[in-house]
Amino acid sequence: MMIFAATSGAQLFFDQVMNGVGTGVIYASVALSLVLIYRTTGLLNFAQGELALFSTFITYWFAHEQGLPIVAALLASVAVSFVGGALIERVLIRPVEGASSPLNVVIVTLGLFLAVNALASLIFIKPGQEALQMPRIFPTGDLALGIRTSTVGFAAVLVIECLLLYLLLQKTKLGLALRAVASNPESAKLVGINTGTMLMVGWALAAPIGAVAGSLAATRQSGFDASLMQQVLVYAFAAAALGGFDSPLGAVVGGLIVGIADSLTIQYVDALDGIELVVPFVLILVVLLVRPNGLFGRTIVERV
Amino acid sequence: MHRTRTLRAVPLLLAFALLVAACGGGRSDDNADSKDNGSKTSDSTDSSGGSGVDTSDCPDNDTAGIDGDTITLASSFPQSGLTSAFAQISKGYKAYFAKLNQAGGVEVDGKKYKIEVVDKDDEYNASKTVQNINEEVGTDGDKAFAVFNVVGTANNVAIRESLDESCVPNLFAATGSPAWGNPDFPWLVGSTLAPYTLEAVAYANYLKDEQPDAKVAMLVQDDDFGKAYEEGFKDAIKGTKITVTKVATYPTGSNEVASQVTSLAATGADAFFDGATLLACPNALEEATSSNWERTSTFVSGTCISKTLMGLAGQNADGVLATTNIKDPLNPAFKDDAAMKEYRATLAEFGDDKVDPDNGIVAYGYTQAALLQYVLEQSPKLTRSSVLDTLRTIDTKGLGLLIDGVDAKMSADDPYLAENLQLIQYDAGNKYFTNVGDVIDFEGKTADLTPKDLIDS
Repeated sequence: MMIFAATSGAQLFFDQVMNGVGTGVIYASVALSLVLIYRTTGLLNFAQGELALFSTFITYWFAHEQGLPIVAALLASVAVSFVGGALIERVLIRPVEGASSPLNVVIVTLGLFLAVNALASLIFIKPGQEALQMPRIFPTGDLALGIRTSTVGFAAVLVIECLLLYLLLQKTKLGLALRAVASNPESAKLVGINTGTMLMVGWALAAPIGAVAGSLAATRQSGFDASLMQQVLVYAFAAAALGGFDSPLGAVVGGLIVGIADSLTIQYVDALDGIELVVPFVLILVVLLVRPNGLFGRTIVERV
Repeated sequence: MHRTRTLRAVPLLLAFALLVAACGGGRSDDNADSKDNGSKTSDSTDSSGGSGVDTSDCPDNDTAGIDGDTITLASSFPQSGLTSAFAQISKGYKAYFAKLNQAGGVEVDGKKYKIEVVDKDDEYNASKTVQNINEEVGTDGDKAFAVFNVVGTANNVAIRESLDESCVPNLFAATGSPAWGNPDFPWLVGSTLAPYTLEAVAYANYLKDEQPDAKVAMLVQDDDFGKAYEEGFKDAIKGTKITVTKVATYPTGSNEVASQVTSLAATGADAFFDGATLLACPNALEEATSSNWERTSTFVSGTCISKTLMGLAGQNADGVLATTNIKDPLNPAFKDDAAMKEYRATLAEFGDDKVDPDNGIVAYGYTQAALLQYVLEQSPKLTRSSVLDTLRTIDTKGLGLLIDGVDAKMSADDPYLAENLQLIQYDAGNKYFTNVGDVIDFEGKTADLTPKDLIDS
């Protein structure tokens, strides 16, 4: 009786699933950029989230300081990120890539993680300013059935990203070369593919996807600061591990699973209040026990 | 050999997740987690003044940190990184001290002294606070006279034991933790920020009058800061018709609270206690609007009433209630207030060029400086024990920008400095808070209104 005004159980479940989709799409986008770099370079880029943060600040800068409409600002930021991603690979990653241990590159990306965050705060956040407000891309409010317009918009953006990636990877020569380098760098080199260029392209492609993910994440919140992507990155790694580090489809599915699992846990499992983060990690452990390469990952067999 | 790169990546991934979690923990507003056992509890038979603080075990350095006519104070607060907005507090008190020093300084026991504050950046990281304070105060406590306005609960908890042992006053710890009333640490005194539990009681009292059948949903941070709100509020509504439908928590340092707010809205609550801090607070308000949550009243944490956070919330914050005891510089009702005029003039002449006088936390810092001047002037001698004793028996009002009617009052039985609160309501159109009703008198009542485990933490 007391809960006459309360939402019905089914509606609540649906609302929470939609909340999960809203965050899951962001996790999926970041996971997608992780997968892209992993596929082309075999690397986990720990700085991916912070690079996305930097791109998000660039979007804000175009929109707020230059007065561009938000969509134009986002596209401009995507272009800058494309060039920036390539530059980072050329200037920072390339010199250590040939080194004996792949750990060297990982350590560089960890360094980038810290440096990019500090740099972004330094450049974009004025003293005394606690947070910035990103203009909205999609109108607030519901589209239909209690589904937010923004959630539908985010999902549409993700679908477009996936389509473009699919066309690029499967239907173009560049895509073929990228896939060749990913599947077997030695053989790719032997057939005349410039593997160095392809690695650079991998970084250049991942950065704009991060830019979109970060900018969308910022529009979901009333304000954002330099911590925007830190938690997102953890969930994105979870999503990529769940889906398989070499599968773009896996990244998307993984992102949605992690997002939905998180919001359902918050709603229904009071015992995990405040430590919802364990849920995606338990999921990962279970999936990796059953399928060591993730839900959609390929098994790589090395001959010895 | 069958092995995959994915599997190799997993340990790295987990290590990274731990790293992020560890970093995130340091950013929390409140994270008092260590329980120490101080040795010097109040004991009226010892060599103590009116405050009951026992100084018999103190080292013989009661006047350290005074060099000629200069009193050196030590501080530590975030000046870079995500929480650097707190550095604005120091701009308020530095402007106040600059003006005071130019006029000759503060007069103690017939002699004038200048006040100098030495501070360092701790990035809100408690272990850095320890390092900074050790350096500034010296391991023997010889380099600074007192510690002043260190920001953060966990940060003050981290330094309180060693300062207590060397009998260095830690004055105006800058958070509203109820733990500042812990009798085990008499050398630590909180600032004019009222204990968080009182905010919860103030809202409960408001509901008793305005929404006696209120169904309240609460959002709190998953730590002692959140507990102070939750337990304080639940205690305060005992015996009333007010009920709590649900308490949702979010991880310390997280900004993502959409699912929590959805679950709260679904309970059919008609009152929302938004106990979140930093960005989670305006995010929760925005989410409440997006969820079409129809409710009669909303209360936000006193840590959320800054110009920036309320500005981010915008229309979503229209009509929200909160409490404070400092005059809001943006409220035109204080435009001709003498204290406000003096504040603005001081900031204009002595503030640095990056200071924003409209920002409430600058006004807060300024007020702590005014209190310190008062305490030093009232102290019969310029010794640490005398200054602490004077502060712990203070009884005044109207200092700095304290709202008229808010007492600064302590005694041997009352370890909390400022307990009276003004209920305020946000006007999103005009972007300032207006006062609701009269000052609520909680003077001397914090200990009764606060669960004991929160005080002893």
